[in-house]
Amino acid sequence: MMRGLLLKTWYEVWLMTLLFGCALLGVNALLTYVIPHFQEGIIEIIERIPFVQPMLTAMLGTELGDEISARTLQAFLWVHPTVLALLWAHAIVFCTRMPAGEIDRGTIDVLLGLPVSRRAAYYGEAIAWLAAGLVILLMGFTGHCLTSSFIPDEERPEFSRALMVLANLYCVYVAVGGIATLVSSLSSHRGGAMAIAFAIVLASFLLNFVAQFWEPAEQVAFLSVMDYYRPAQNLQSGDFPAADVTVLLSVGAAALLLGGEVVARRSICTV
Amino acid sequence: MSIIRTEQLSRRYGRRVGVDAINLEIGAGEIFGFLGPNGAGKTTTIRLLLGFLQPDAGRASIFGLDCWRQSALVKRDLGYLPGDLRLYPWMTARMALRIFGKIRGVDLSGSGGELAERFRLEMGVRVQKMSRGMRQKLGIILAMAHKPRLLVLDEPTSGLDPLMQKELARSIRELAAAGHTVFFSSHTLSEVESLCDRVAIVREGRIIADERLETLRSRARRTVELVFVDEEAAERADLPSYLQLVRRDGCRCQGELDGPTPPLVHWADDQPLADISIGPPDLGSMFHKFYQLPSEPS
Repeated sequence: MMRGLLLKTWYEVWLMTLLFGCALLGVNALLTYVIPHFQEGIIEIIERIPFVQPMLTAMLGTELGDEISARTLQAFLWVHPTVLALLWAHAIVFCTRMPAGEIDRGTIDVLLGLPVSRRAAYYGEAIAWLAAGLVILLMGFTGHCLTSSFIPDEERPEFSRALMVLANLYCVYVAVGGIATLVSSLSSHRGGAMAIAFAIVLASFLLNFVAQFWEPAEQVAFLSVMDYYRPAQNLQSGDFPAADVTVLLSVGAAALLLGGEVVARRSICTV
Repeated sequence: MSIIRTEQLSRRYGRRVGVDAINLEIGAGEIFGFLGPNGAGKTTTIRLLLGFLQPDAGRASIFGLDCWRQSALVKRDLGYLPGDLRLYPWMTARMALRIFGKIRGVDLSGSGGELAERFRLEMGVRVQKMSRGMRQKLGIILAMAHKPRLLVLDEPTSGLDPLMQKELARSIRELAAAGHTVFFSSHTLSEVESLCDRVAIVREGRIIADERLETLRSRARRTVELVFVDEEAAERADLPSYLQLVRRDGCRCQGELDGPTPPLVHWADDQPLADISIGPPDLGSMFHKFYQLPSEPS
């Protein structure tokens, strides 16, 4: 049964996932190559415009300090808005397919007319989403590896540390997707579900950003998923962010499980 | 054992009644017609049977299994064609049979292929390129390919040409002859009349009649036209109580027969008649009366 559900999802998402993966591969390859070449210019901008430093601190999840190393700059790759936007967009688009998307286009009648429990249909979709997320992130990482060979050794981040950041980013992806899935489970309209999920993610991002300047926001910054993603710090220290990963995975899992219960218990009506 | 059984099944949409205290019992091999005007509660009943909606009160079971709590088990042996069929646009009939077969755990390519031939459906065309009728055919094939014990069809003939409607009727009769049960929802009397053994009429969420079609036929009025030998005989005629005069036009009298025909034939034998014609049971006007709201004039 699950093979049939996964096959159906595969037919629907392979092209989208491939396109997102290729985009991430291209962006990562480009950024990996470009960042060291513009290192001096970037540092000059950071020092000249005072507003930029807290902004980057918010994105990188660590104080930049006086010395900005080439390896710290490599962390820009993992927090670049294009990279984050691609990942979040993929998570939100994918995770609002079931049930909101199926109800919205009316195909849920056919799907649930089959001998599948709602939980099976929901978790089948979740398995496909988690796998697709891994694929696009690995494609992005491949892009990074392809061009990192052109960077001088002393500026190139260690492979193991880059993998650590990748794992942390995957957990951000899981948390964002989990929230989008929960929103989708409560909704019958995909457009609305996507808008709400996007608003939550954006609010989370802005909260993390505002917390750099505004103390009241700092008090609640722990509510932002970005608070648990500090690539620069991880690249510098080489420590695995176990606590951050645990929090993000817990958020993602809790949202996913809660969404599963909502889907299993709610009435579904396409008219 | 009943295939479908509902007890006081009720469902509201906010303040609006979806269905109210529906009681049904449908046995194996029956072709059950579920008739009612648009918005009467037919689709809501089907959604409750399929476990899409949770009942507010009462319960529904299929094959003895609870429709809400054991919905996935129920659907192992059930085929369903939704009223407003929407299929995945990228799907072809071949892909659909492959995927649905994997989900059901049976190979549907053989039986699906036979049905596709019977309904003249090309296997390689994507749904997005199909006409409405072709999509409907694919929906029917997907609902019937695994030879379900219970087939639930919601307005199945919409979009089908008369030839295919006939083919569908033939397939349904074959299924029923093999002991399978068919739940046939429609708002078209002629379809139900030609196909079903039993019919329930739903109006404003309530079942207002549930009888065998033969019983309904015997209760339905017939149009009778009497042609007397002359106008004077027509005027003097003393019609029996079971024949209500509708119109008199010269030597012709038109009436409605309320009851069996033999007493009328016996009565007519003694009358100065040149001709008599008795029409078939007029189920149409009977259903029209059922459909009418109590406040509406007849």
